[in-house]
Amino acid sequence: MARQFSVRRQTGFTTIAMICFFALYLPIAVLVIYAFNAGQSLSIWEGFSLRWFVKAFENQHVIEASIRSLQIAVVAALVATAAATMAALATTRTEPYRGLTLKYAFINQPLMIPEIVTAVALLIFFSRIKVWTGYSGLGYLIAAHTAFCIPFAYLPIRARLENMDLTLERAAADLYATPWKTFRYVTLPLLWPGILAGLMLAFVISLDDVVITEFVKSAGQDTLPTYMLGQLRRAITPEMNAISTLFLLLSICIVTVFFFVNKKRI
Amino acid sequence: MADLNAVEIRNVSKIFGFGEFAFAAVNDTSVAIRQNEFFTLLGPSGCGKTTLLRLIAGFEFPTAGEILLNGANIAAMPPFKRPVNTVFQSYALFPHMTVAENIGFGLQMLGRPKAEIEARVAEMLKLVRMEELRGRRTSQISGGQQQRVALARALAPQPKVLLLDEPLSALDYKLRKDMQIELKRLQSETGITFIFVTHDQEEALTMSDRVAVMSAGRILQVGSPREIYDAPTDRFVADFIGETNFLKGRVVSITDGIAQVDTGVGGRIAAALPQGFVPEGEVTVVLRPEHAMLCAPDHSGACQMTGTLENVVYFGTDTHYHVRLADGVTSFTLREQNKPLQAARFASGDRVGIAIESNAARVLRN
Repeated sequence: MARQFSVRRQTGFTTIAMICFFALYLPIAVLVIYAFNAGQSLSIWEGFSLRWFVKAFENQHVIEASIRSLQIAVVAALVATAAATMAALATTRTEPYRGLTLKYAFINQPLMIPEIVTAVALLIFFSRIKVWTGYSGLGYLIAAHTAFCIPFAYLPIRARLENMDLTLERAAADLYATPWKTFRYVTLPLLWPGILAGLMLAFVISLDDVVITEFVKSAGQDTLPTYMLGQLRRAITPEMNAISTLFLLLSICIVTVFFFVNKKRI
Repeated sequence: MADLNAVEIRNVSKIFGFGEFAFAAVNDTSVAIRQNEFFTLLGPSGCGKTTLLRLIAGFEFPTAGEILLNGANIAAMPPFKRPVNTVFQSYALFPHMTVAENIGFGLQMLGRPKAEIEARVAEMLKLVRMEELRGRRTSQISGGQQQRVALARALAPQPKVLLLDEPLSALDYKLRKDMQIELKRLQSETGITFIFVTHDQEEALTMSDRVAVMSAGRILQVGSPREIYDAPTDRFVADFIGETNFLKGRVVSITDGIAQVDTGVGGRIAAALPQGFVPEGEVTVVLRPEHAMLCAPDHSGACQMTGTLENVVYFGTDTHYHVRLADGVTSFTLREQNKPLQAARFASGDRVGIAIESNAARVLRN
């Protein structure tokens, strides 16, 4: 039989794909496995134990840093998503005009600026404000996180809006819905998966941030990632693995919840 | 009050873009649409018919002019305040709502009591024969059913005027035929003024009480389907609707609005003049293919033109004859209905005469 040509199957692609998957997931698998190590070592298996999870849960620093991380992430993600939703509506629900592209660029630019640059800039900027106002609370971290989360929240929301038929909103207006009611009963329900995706993305990005947080935080304002970074300078125990594993679990949960919520609608 | 026009367009223009890119989608147009009328805006794509509809709906606002609804100027009113509803080309049903929720949406937005909405939705479902599908999502019903839901949704709030933007164009031929009849029925049952936009001349002719033919942002002619077809006043109208023969000629004499036109390819043709039109020099005469007959060329008096038969095309119900007229340039098409077991009277290459039915030829304004 003659060999059929198919663009879907090319020699070597499967192998390359497998290598990529291994490179991505093998280290994570190892990390998760050693979180359950009974011994002190990160490389020698000494039996199964949950002791490092217990230790992590008893570590006051970890608990405080986790709570702080969550506080910042929740507030920053909510505010960023609200802002991003408004920005997305303003940039898609309008006739194209000169300068609209520039606006897109402005909203998305933070994705392009090296994070370290933003971090240094914010450090200098906030230290000034700290001197003037005397305030040194979590507000700075929340503001910084909100700012860099906006473009991440904006992207999925805008993508969703662009795929949405404008005629639906016209139809609502035609059927006596005021602009607010049109938004409430037609735009928002249809946009919801996009908003949720934006919210999740912003939340995860905020939760994960190290560079900007490290620069902006005041003393005693460690988030979970910066706490872990600090710990790495000392002796590393599988406690780090345990914390990382819990972190990973949280991420997976978020993605799963999002997947099912999204699947249920439409 | 009863004498007021349902919709009156007064000198409306809609210009898109600025400066050198300015484009008049609707150009200083006026038209009056009567109460309870099935009115059709007919024209090729880009002629401004949809823009005119959207101006009435309120999705666009006119650059100049007035739009009167039952005598009140609504040109600057937002769409949600206008008592008109639209059936969209794409239906635009809300995908996150059921059939019943879609139909009830307008009344819900108007803040009507729940019981009234329920009753009206049930009534509408019955009107479009969709009772058993009330709980379905709009993605779970067929195109024809979506079409009915879109109609029911637009009719539910009992609008003064219903606007229909090429609503049948997405349906296949048979469904389209059924929906044409359905639309006519809905219009007469509800007594609501329908303004229907289409580029399909057949649809326009079969459904409308009156038709407005549009081209390049202007309404060229308004009239009953019969008037539009039998008495086009404009070359575009004559050409756009049905098949037409155009003949150049010179007016020899005029009596009682009938001009004797010399076409230079045989005898004279008696052609009706548009009202108030005084022809000068060369004029164009239009003649439908079915209003002429082939005859023997020497048949004295009966034939107004002569020429050579170039082509005979058999269509089952009728036969089309393409004749090169005696001037050697103009081609003329005739359509004769076929009789049972009738042999072809002429073959291509024959010299033939053309006899024109009385009252069939008309002079165009331009």
